[in-house]
Amino acid sequence: MDSIISVKDVTYEYKDEETTVAAVKALSLEIERGSFTVILGHNGSGKSTLAKMLNGLNKPTSGDIFVDGINTKDEENEIEVKRKVGMVFQNPDNQIIASIVEEDVAFGPENLGVPPKEIKKRVDDALRAVDMLEFKESTPHRLSGGQKQRIAIAGIIAMQPECLVLDEPTAMLDPKGRAEIIETLIRLNKEKGITVVLITHYMEEAQNADRVLVMNDGEIIADDKPKVIFSDVERLKRVGLDVPQTAELLYNLKKNGFNVDTHALSIKEAANEIIKALHSEE
Amino acid sequence: MLRDITFGQYYESHSLIHKTDPRVKIVLLFLLIIFIFLAQNGFALGFAAASVLIIMLITKIPFKLYLKNMKAILPVLIFTAVLNLFYGESGRVLVSFWKLQITTDGVSRAIFMAVRITLLIFISSALTYTTTPNDLTDAIERLLSPLKFVGLKNAVHTLAMMMTIALRFIPTLIEEAEKIMNAQKARGADLENGKLTERVKALIPILIPLLISSVRRAYELAEAMECRCYNGGEGRTRMKQMHMAGRDFIVLGASLVICGGIITLNILL
Amino acid sequence: MSVLEVKNLTHTYSGNTPFVNDAVSGVSFTANKGEIIGIIGHTGSGKSTLVQHLNGLLKPTSGEVFIDGENIWDNPKEIRKIRSKVGLVFQYPEYQLFEETVFADIAFGPKNMGLSGEELKQRVLETCKIIGVKDEYLEKSPFDLSGGEKRRVAIAGVMAMRPEVIVFDEPTAGLDPKGRENVSEIINEYRLATGATVIIISHSMEDMALIADRLIVMNKGKLEMFDTVENVFKNGDRLRAIGLNVPIVTRVFYELKAAGIPVPDDVFTVSRAVEVLKQIKAGGGNA
Repeated sequence: MDSIISVKDVTYEYKDEETTVAAVKALSLEIERGSFTVILGHNGSGKSTLAKMLNGLNKPTSGDIFVDGINTKDEENEIEVKRKVGMVFQNPDNQIIASIVEEDVAFGPENLGVPPKEIKKRVDDALRAVDMLEFKESTPHRLSGGQKQRIAIAGIIAMQPECLVLDEPTAMLDPKGRAEIIETLIRLNKEKGITVVLITHYMEEAQNADRVLVMNDGEIIADDKPKVIFSDVERLKRVGLDVPQTAELLYNLKKNGFNVDTHALSIKEAANEIIKALHSEE
Repeated sequence: MLRDITFGQYYESHSLIHKTDPRVKIVLLFLLIIFIFLAQNGFALGFAAASVLIIMLITKIPFKLYLKNMKAILPVLIFTAVLNLFYGESGRVLVSFWKLQITTDGVSRAIFMAVRITLLIFISSALTYTTTPNDLTDAIERLLSPLKFVGLKNAVHTLAMMMTIALRFIPTLIEEAEKIMNAQKARGADLENGKLTERVKALIPILIPLLISSVRRAYELAEAMECRCYNGGEGRTRMKQMHMAGRDFIVLGASLVICGGIITLNILL
Repeated sequence: MSVLEVKNLTHTYSGNTPFVNDAVSGVSFTANKGEIIGIIGHTGSGKSTLVQHLNGLLKPTSGEVFIDGENIWDNPKEIRKIRSKVGLVFQYPEYQLFEETVFADIAFGPKNMGLSGEELKQRVLETCKIIGVKDEYLEKSPFDLSGGEKRRVAIAGVMAMRPEVIVFDEPTAGLDPKGRENVSEIINEYRLATGATVIIISHSMEDMALIADRLIVMNKGKLEMFDTVENVFKNGDRLRAIGLNVPIVTRVFYELKAAGIPVPDDVFTVSRAVEVLKQIKAGGGNA
């Protein structure tokens, strides 16, 4: 596997005066270049801590993380690691620095010392990639949550990263904003080949992923395709998670003696399973 | 309402003034302010007022937005004008009571002061409405850049960055303060009535959450900036290069004519 | 019996700011004692403006709001009294916490109503008991709690005023599934214990189908529909036309119907769906 990120036996501990709490425990993980990975887990499962280590914002207490072969502990390459792995956070308001959209998107490339002409091009490209070019000269303050979050993504894209790590980017958005972000991420992944690592607790958002990781108590307890992950309704509920309503429906039907395949996720697939099951009765 | 504060806010439009180099605008603002206060007679001040009004027209900003900024400063304006009323030293006495008297000289002083402050607010608003906060801070950073040579390079960049962030977060924090106020009112907090001490005490449930949330925002913003490879001013480039274009020289020329006009009228009349 | 009545409520924001606000025009509805009313609609459809009128935070430009038959603006000086009759829990209510201890923060509302001493203490303890704030938390700083617990305490702060009507603006926003479930439980426990009327703004049609009795559908500041959950969700086309939708399970049933399976059109929850399909399977036809 061609990995963009390799996590090798990483532990992260939070220390306060009396106690030491391990938020991530001896975790190993490879993220394949160009893949779309979703990490699920309840609050406090360690997923945010893990995310912040992927671009070197936090350094592992023990173990190593490599981004494109560079150890995140390597101080000489700190900026390069952050450029390669861009991070987007939950609250769009707290990641927008400038009062004009294009100036905000330019912030990253400016920090990298990109020549002015090239920055202009990158800003336009990045805004086009998130479908926000028409708002180039607007004030972020007046935009909707989904639009603001797309500006935040554009700000990262303009640094031309290899990988995008998003820590619950949709948690504060309405359904329309959530859909906008997911569409944007799928497009960036498919068209630009950017690796996406999406952390969320909205199960529907995991349906389009190549791979879903479930975290609990600092460990990865499941790692598979979305269909397989969501067919195990009981395991997910045990770790404080939910399943899409389609998965819950099929799971309950199966329990009630219906001959359905619980791996169906989309509305159409679920309906077809039910139709098949009803017909097989006749 | 808190959200009525528009000071320091950019208003999008495409006028000559919007496109003028922000450095030129800042220097001109200072020049004009100095000349507005130098205008000694009605003709010079009238000329200055006419020039400011023309600049305001060119900005294509709705006039009511200018008036709104006036509203905020109105008490100061009235106070200063009234104070000046009693400062007349010569001229015919119009009213006199106790130890105070209002003379024709005092009245004209008061009017002059009121007009000057009004022009000052208008012309400053014209700058902030037509220049994005970032351009403004950029321009200040560049105008202050000679300080680099006396070893203050980082200080200039840091100052400019602080201003950018402050301006960016003003509307966000105003909105947040309003939300918290409403939330505490919904819990029965009384913000309108009571003695001064009670009212100050009533602010605690608003200020503490606002402070906590600002600290949280600052922390998150710092992380986001780090993730966008921010590393101080060293090695940074700028998307927007500032260079003087033909229109900047036109604006500069026109302003010099205005200043010249004020001086001439000052001396001649 | 109607507790709350909104009559022809209109609110327009003064037009001299360049900002866009969500106005409300000509909205009327009534809420009965003990029922749960859901409000659905897009961001900017006027939901938040509407609910801020219910406890007098906003004054209608025209129209009236009645609580227990009394116009809340009959005596504008007494408007603060309305705030204890109609509780309003804003989005992310944990951001309004400010006191040194959980106890003091929950006591803030009832204290503002004039409660003191033993009565105040009883009120806080009672509220904590209803919605499960643990005793050991009471002397802790609210800022030391986890996100979900902070929200529970913040909601307790409004419930401690014992409102007859309690309004929630997206109470589960930003929480994980467990947290969402906890908040739904708290709301239900308060309703069962006090018989209060509950009004909830939510974006989740699935949640609304589970808990609400009636739904208010807002669109562009107007009341698009006000009806039982069943009648609102039967109008899938009308909801879609304004950018909303029906629960996912209902959409699965649309597919079943299209395939010629004789399913009823009032399936909005998973449990009902399973019942219906079991009947079809057993009977080989009619539900």
